[in-house]
Amino acid sequence: MSTATQSPPWLETLLQVLAQRSGHSVPQRASAPDWRWPTRRSEAWRFTDLRCLTQLDPTRLHTRTASPPWPDVLRQGSSRHVALQLDGRGHWRDPQGEPPPWPHGLMPLPSEEITPGQVAHTVIPSGTLPLGAQLNGATPGPSLGLQVSGPAPVHLALAIQVEQAQTWLAPHVLLVVEPGARLCLTWHVAATAQAAVLPMVEVQLGAGARLEEAAMAWGCPGAAFLGNSFVHQSPRSVYRRINVTWGWGLSRDEPFIRQSQGQAETHLHGLAVARGQSLLDTHSTVSFGGPAGQLRHQHQALADDRGHSVFNGRVVVPRLAQQTDASQLSRNLLLSTRARIDTKPQLEIVADNVQCTHGATVSCLQDDELFYLQSRGIGREQASRLLQRGFCEEILQRLPKAVLAWPSLQRLLEIPVPDQP
Amino acid sequence: MTSTETTPIRESPVQTGDVLLSIKNLHACVEGNEILRGVSLRVRAGEIHALMGRNGSGKSTLSKVIAGHPAYTVTAGSIHYRGRDLLALSPEDRARSGVFLGFQYPVEIPGVSNLEFLRVSCNARRQHRGQEELDTFAFEDHVRETMAIVQMDPAFLERSVNEGFSGGEKKRNEVLQMALLEPLVAILDETDSGLDIDALRIVANGVKKLALPTTATLLITHYQRLLDAITPDFVHVMAEGRILRTGGKDLAMALEQRGYDWMDEETDGADRSDTPQP
Ligand SMILES: Nc1ncnc2c1ncn2[C@@H]1O[C@H](COP(=O)(O)OP(=O)(O)OP(=O)(O)O)[C@@H](O)[C@H]1O
Ligand SMILES: [Mg+2]
Repeated sequence: MSTATQSPPWLETLLQVLAQRSGHSVPQRASAPDWRWPTRRSEAWRFTDLRCLTQLDPTRLHTRTASPPWPDVLRQGSSRHVALQLDGRGHWRDPQGEPPPWPHGLMPLPSEEITPGQVAHTVIPSGTLPLGAQLNGATPGPSLGLQVSGPAPVHLALAIQVEQAQTWLAPHVLLVVEPGARLCLTWHVAATAQAAVLPMVEVQLGAGARLEEAAMAWGCPGAAFLGNSFVHQSPRSVYRRINVTWGWGLSRDEPFIRQSQGQAETHLHGLAVARGQSLLDTHSTVSFGGPAGQLRHQHQALADDRGHSVFNGRVVVPRLAQQTDASQLSRNLLLSTRARIDTKPQLEIVADNVQCTHGATVSCLQDDELFYLQSRGIGREQASRLLQRGFCEEILQRLPKAVLAWPSLQRLLEIPVPDQP
Repeated sequence: MTSTETTPIRESPVQTGDVLLSIKNLHACVEGNEILRGVSLRVRAGEIHALMGRNGSGKSTLSKVIAGHPAYTVTAGSIHYRGRDLLALSPEDRARSGVFLGFQYPVEIPGVSNLEFLRVSCNARRQHRGQEELDTFAFEDHVRETMAIVQMDPAFLERSVNEGFSGGEKKRNEVLQMALLEPLVAILDETDSGLDIDALRIVANGVKKLALPTTATLLITHYQRLLDAITPDFVHVMAEGRILRTGGKDLAMALEQRGYDWMDEETDGADRSDTPQP
């Protein structure tokens, strides 16, 4: 493999370190990928500077995590609920540090049934995995594989907490949701130190299965997040995803969803709050492999200071996907002259009998709304904060209680402006 | 017009008959168009004024200039509130000092809860008056009591500010805000428009209840029916950015019967800026 010629020295060193740790000469999890380091010249990475990632020192990387500040409602397991803390070696434990008692309907998959990339390659049939997934695959460690069965909903809360500099965390999660089964999955990812978090999630949704996923991922200016999820949907399955992200120096969120035979429902809601010098990038792909599939996608971003939000929403509707009903909306709030919003729908529609709509708006705070609040005695700063929160609320109100219970959401809502006298 | 450093006007007790609002030869423009062309008006504690006039005559513009809307520039003249320069205050300090504008078109603010909005604004005014702020629970009791004045369903507290409210519901929400803020000068811009007969009675009763010997009310309206319920002390007619004529409640009745044309004819050739002042 012509790895060396195509990758920067940083990647080479990183791969060597990871390979040494796994005790293999080649990366362990995935078969050796064809590394192609993205440059700003490639369309998909045009706006996305990877410096925040490459600032990490590969020779000093470690996988130590901290224990997450679990809210009380999540701390205790039950017959329908389990909470797991993931660490960088692919290990997990419940908040008491025990191996969890698995709730009814949730079973760990035997490791021989887990091959990293097994779902991903059905979701992206041709071609190479994206960078985040490749790096995840190059990181040694076992996967968390779970099988969900039975009609009663199972609740799974996953948390990753990074507090030490030079942490490299690349958990791999495989979820097999059996036909008709139902999983409510919540994520809480937090990084308060210069670190990289690169989760890869693969989901197989059987016929009529449901997955409701809600993720909150927040980092600090030195932290990089490269998340990839691959969701394979069988007919009549329903996938709902709500994703809220803020604070990272760099975040690249890349969900790939494939309705293999159409006839399924996909609902995606995202909120990115880019302040300071944060760069928050979402590149989503939803593809329809059969007729009568449905997609509802709404992405909202707020950019302030020198924050930068990137959204690219790709929707693939080939000829066999007749009667697809897809809508995509990108709503953006631009709060400073130095902030940036780049938003782009990418509809690849060949079928003719379909209903596909998309829209994108970029606006500032409305003078009339500000004035209305001010005319009631609310100071301008506080009025601005209320309006920003109002903008976010449209996505936040969809979050399940289990996610709202995390105290960190308050940090997002308390937009950092001193209170009015 | 608005400066960043503003000092709120401290609230001292008001006596009936005190001049609360004094507007002199006010000129204001928006996007280069002069809309107000010499408005003069004096309002004392205990008075109810009605402001009438054709569509586009400048009534809402006057109200927004008083409240401090940033789109309007005052090019000449002055507004004094309780003897202090009102134009030097930011919109929020005007409101905290006791000037209230009920909007002709209340603004919808998606995602901002009506309850929180009301609480934050009520506390801003309370703080200015040296009253203690109300916490969430105390405020909720307070707002529920106050809602009874306009017979509004507490369910409206859970919704976003004015979002999806009917025209009449928005107007009731304005009166609710007025009741919570207890202003010294309340300007109600067509609060009676879009109300059904029952709602008009409810709103009129609410406004009457809030009009005290120590406060003043300026009702902007097109209709006699509001003035049947709330008897004004003065009726002003605006035309082309000026107050063309001032009279008593009979003037409103004459307008209701005869329209505005007769006044144009009578005033033709006369010095239109010579507005009799109470
Ligand atoms: N932002 C603006 N740009 C240009 N013209 C404006 C603007 N705002 C107001 N005007 C004009 O100023 C004039 C006065 O408007 P205003 O809203 O004050 O009238 P009004 O007396 O309240 O009318 P109505 O009875 O219909 O409410 C109108 O001709 C209006 O078109
Ligand atoms: Mg008007």
